[in-house]
Amino acid sequence: MEVLKTLLLQIFYVLIFPGFLFCFIFGMFLSGIDRKMVARMQRRIGPPVMQPFYDFFKLVGKDHIVPRKASKRAFLAAPIFGLISIVLIALFIPVFGFSFQKSTADIIVILYLITIPALSLVFGGSSSGSPFASIGISREMVTMLSYELPLVMIFLAIGKKAGVFINGNVTFSLADINKYQSLSGIMISKWALIPAAIAFLLIIPAEVGTVPFDVAEAETEICEGPLVEYSGLYLGIYKLTQAVKMFIMGSLFIALFFGGNGFSNVFLNIILMIIGVIITIVLSVSFVRSILGRLKVEQTLKFFWTIPTALSAISLILVYLKY
Amino acid sequence: MLNKIIEKSRIKSPWIYHINAGSCNGCDIELIALLGPRFDVERFGVKLTGTPKHADIVFVTGPVTAQTKDRVLRVISQVPDPKVIVSLGSCPMSCNVFKGSYSVVGPLNKWVPVDVSIGGCAPKPEAIIDGLIKALEILKDKRGGKI
Repeated sequence: MEVLKTLLLQIFYVLIFPGFLFCFIFGMFLSGIDRKMVARMQRRIGPPVMQPFYDFFKLVGKDHIVPRKASKRAFLAAPIFGLISIVLIALFIPVFGFSFQKSTADIIVILYLITIPALSLVFGGSSSGSPFASIGISREMVTMLSYELPLVMIFLAIGKKAGVFINGNVTFSLADINKYQSLSGIMISKWALIPAAIAFLLIIPAEVGTVPFDVAEAETEICEGPLVEYSGLYLGIYKLTQAVKMFIMGSLFIALFFGGNGFSNVFLNIILMIIGVIITIVLSVSFVRSILGRLKVEQTLKFFWTIPTALSAISLILVYLKY
Repeated sequence: MLNKIIEKSRIKSPWIYHINAGSCNGCDIELIALLGPRFDVERFGVKLTGTPKHADIVFVTGPVTAQTKDRVLRVISQVPDPKVIVSLGSCPMSCNVFKGSYSVVGPLNKWVPVDVSIGGCAPKPEAIIDGLIKALEILKDKRGGKI
């Protein structure tokens, strides 16, 4: 009986609450809010908040064309791998002390899973056989290279800060980080970690692939890069993956820097989380997207290996000096 | 249920693709003006896509020249169904002042079935929005079927 109950709970987690259904609905709404905010900031009326749902269902109802030169299986399987891995991350992120999966090193799992959507873009693009896609995937790989380094350094800084308090060593568990925050105040209130928080906010647009760092999908110069040959349902899955990625990065930011106890009620905690994610995404994606133009590939690499890397390195050093 | 949602969302998210078939760039500028703050067709869900594979509505500008004819046909055949073809400006309707030139093989409806024609040299943005709404009605009727 106990086994059955755990199994049902796991299925519920994967399919409904932090899993597919919630990620689908909230990711799409987040993407719609982002588009609406950008439109309002540019003094336009903008699309309705439901627009990403309409886009997705329209794409489901459309034909899909597989190019003759493409290797069919890889071309059709790549978007599905990307979606599954990004949804799985949602299981590892705690909602103010309530974690769905208990593990000792979930940050390492998240670091691996978070690269898979970008890799699936590379995989699908390279199997489509289009020259535009090959330019796009090389740019996607450069972008990936550029934001991975500061991201790892941020995780290390936070892990050290929380780990010294808990067991004297670097911790890779989000549950431990949350425990630390509930015992001694949220992470953003430690001034040594403010540079890391700014660096994380700068990484979110590159991870999601929006305007200043969207060299890989530049639709005006290389026809949307790796997505050039995709159409119909499979394009819709890529759009969904991008929307869910926004939600994942936002909730990761909340879990790392604004964790702690929250309220005693789980539902209130979830609502608090949702509001936090919306504010984070509007700050880091919509504001930046509405005022800046697209950077070149080498400028992206140079930017990420100077400013965010330097900020996260400052945090790392300060944390190791026990500030 | 799913079919109903798809039917409803089809007219709410037209993604457009723009082909230049030897145009003078006048109509192209007017089309881009639609996406700005003044006319803002994004409120209907319109998005300018970079590749024909993502598009629902294809805008063709310019009298179809001998050089571009094959390319226009190839690009239009890459748009997945259901699709609507809109000719923008007087040039693809009647070849305009270029009629009779040795290098012009237009009008467009000689080569592909045109669903909506928007006249004018160049057409006003209001006229283009009107054509877009008409194209949406045609898109609704076409559903998943072939042309």
